[in-house]
Amino acid sequence: MSRIAISGIGIIAPDAIGLDAFRALLASGRTAGSPALVRDFKARDFINPMKMRRMNNLSRFGVAAAKLALADAGIDPGRNTGVALGTAFGPVQTSVEYMREYVEKGAALAPPQLFAESVANAPGSHIAIESDFRGFNVTITQRESSALAAAMYAAAQVVKGSVDAALIGGVEEASEMTLSVLERLGALSRTAARPFDAKRDGMSFGEGGAVLLLQPRAPKSYAFISGFGMARDTTASISDWGDDHGAIVTAMRAAIDDAEIALSDIDAIYASANGSVRGDAVEGRAIEELFGDRIPPVVATKGIFGEYAAGGALQLVAATLAVDEQSLHASAGFESGTFRFTPNREHHACKLRHVLVNSVSAGGGVVCAVLSKEAA
Amino acid sequence: MRKADSNVRVAVTGVGIICSIGRNKDEVWRSIRESRAGIAKLTRFPGETFPTDMAAEVAGELQLPISRREAKRMSRTDLLAVIAANEAIDQANECSPLRLERAVVSTGTSTGGLLEGEDYYFRRVVRGRDRAPASRVLQQPTSGPSDAVARVFRVGGGVISNATACASAGAAIGMAVDFLRSRHADVAICGGSDALCRLTYSGFNVLQAVDPAPCAPFSAERKGITLGEGAAYLVVERWDDAVARGATILAEIAGYGASCDAHHPTAPHDEGRGAEAAMRVALDGGDVDYINAHGTGTLLNDSAETKAIVAAVGSATPVSSSKSYFGHTLGASGAVEAAITVMSLIHQLAPPTLRLDVAASDCTLDYIAHTPRPMAMNSALSNTFGFGGANVSLLFRRVV
Repeated sequence: MSRIAISGIGIIAPDAIGLDAFRALLASGRTAGSPALVRDFKARDFINPMKMRRMNNLSRFGVAAAKLALADAGIDPGRNTGVALGTAFGPVQTSVEYMREYVEKGAALAPPQLFAESVANAPGSHIAIESDFRGFNVTITQRESSALAAAMYAAAQVVKGSVDAALIGGVEEASEMTLSVLERLGALSRTAARPFDAKRDGMSFGEGGAVLLLQPRAPKSYAFISGFGMARDTTASISDWGDDHGAIVTAMRAAIDDAEIALSDIDAIYASANGSVRGDAVEGRAIEELFGDRIPPVVATKGIFGEYAAGGALQLVAATLAVDEQSLHASAGFESGTFRFTPNREHHACKLRHVLVNSVSAGGGVVCAVLSKEAA
Repeated sequence: MRKADSNVRVAVTGVGIICSIGRNKDEVWRSIRESRAGIAKLTRFPGETFPTDMAAEVAGELQLPISRREAKRMSRTDLLAVIAANEAIDQANECSPLRLERAVVSTGTSTGGLLEGEDYYFRRVVRGRDRAPASRVLQQPTSGPSDAVARVFRVGGGVISNATACASAGAAIGMAVDFLRSRHADVAICGGSDALCRLTYSGFNVLQAVDPAPCAPFSAERKGITLGEGAAYLVVERWDDAVARGATILAEIAGYGASCDAHHPTAPHDEGRGAEAAMRVALDGGDVDYINAHGTGTLLNDSAETKAIVAAVGSATPVSSSKSYFGHTLGASGAVEAAITVMSLIHQLAPPTLRLDVAASDCTLDYIAHTPRPMAMNSALSNTFGFGGANVSLLFRRVV
């Protein structure tokens, strides 16, 4: 059995630049808005202006979050460090800007700089260049599960020993194109996301960047990653949630087995719920089935910072901080529901040995992780 | 967390491929044998002018294994993926059915549904039609091909998409190997898919990385890439599982390495340091009989890759670039060329680099040119590199 230390965290989130501000946002239990946008980020505080000009917004989120994570850890993990980021939509805005120039100036005269940044892995590659990280460098785009799937790969590589350390996390930005498509598909709430609430009517879009440093062991660690499980709901269409909660049960159980713990060792669930009617329903039923009459506290954080925030990585960070602080966050947006559990409503101290983190994607993909307080 | 056990052998039991030289592996291999390239004038975007006009397109209407209704919500990249995955799964299913409920789909793609995103952009923004159908951009996210394949084949073990530029599919296959070795999955449908689109066609031209003539990797005359499209999937399983269900094992995935140059957003490191590192990890001290190079045809790649090969395995190993047949299929290239590498081992025939009359002075290896070379091969490397300096090298071994 191996557990991997989370030894540094960097955050560029809606209403929260830096870890302390993010802790405060979570503790406040208030929503960061819908869409939840990063407003007070000054890239030049983190990145040399000459280099900054070559980076799109996502790359700036990623590079700044990585610098914060490394500074937070207070160590240089060395060259043999891998990078695995998640992003659901990636550089849609950059592609739109490129196409605008393409239309205005012609296919031969669009700016090469925009093309270079139109690949989803640009943020990960800038992070590697900034710090000379020569391990694997991958970018995962699996909708709501992007950051957790990237974390799964990276943690496995640290366990395998193919790298000495890894940076994980994700980046996301709200572009007019993405928001307009989601809005027209009816995916967005008319007001604010209300995860697990009976009157929920869609998600809020969140943006931002988050990077976490993973090491086999570290002098300081917030929590340990101890297991992963994945599955897919075969009833899901290519772009919506399905209604077979069995796949989520399978993935949760697989993560718990991978962590070599028992179901009863799970002290809280950081749910995937984002306020979508179908997604929350299928996850809620899965939690009810797996945990029966002993459902641990459930926390739904996406009412605070929205879905997709940092490619899904803000949810992972919230769960990590819960383990670190031994306290549960409040679920913003919930009033009353129809499930057998009520999402945790007050921020309060709680003994947390192991926390389950769920991500359930439109399209049916499920990735679950277990975070633990102790190294073994 | 369970550790990926490197003693667990990984078998390839199905291969599917579609690209400009064929709609399945028989057609593709016939073209390879006959040294027939699939590069011609670009037809996809009539009325639009680009500085160069060569492309490796999948011509004609796609023969789909699904209903038109189901296909309607998918992008071209998704459809290419479904076609290739269908062929791979059919082959793997020949003896006894795969347990798809425990399978993962792992796909690499660089553009996903960008072609359809562009169409939407043109209609809505350029021509001002507010009611342009948003359903056409449902698959804009690069998770599209994985989600489509998983949906069509009712895959229940998981789904993951890799958008690591041109290294995407190599990374997707490497990930699948580790998922099997750590028993996070029992079967993997792994590969890549990318359709031609305006943004990439224009973008590589703007970077002046496109050869106005069909690409000639490693040649003294090379001027850049030829853009292509296509998809390929491999069905991979743990060796013992494949044997137990009576599957025909086509090849073994014996190793893979992944690295980053950490050098430049688009250009490779001059000495190919990341490529060398990826090959060394894939080989793990062993040797190799043939290298299916990334060989894009750009001045920088072919020079850097040559240096990396010299450093990692020396100058004696025969090398070729099959991109001279079907162009650079971008995010799919790692899978398309992995499929070619598997077929090379099966047929004991290494494909050539077409149009390689005189190797460039900075390309100093034993390049197979013009016609395939029959040779005894126990192992072969497939290299895949991408923007951002991402490198993946996959080592395949022949089954005897």
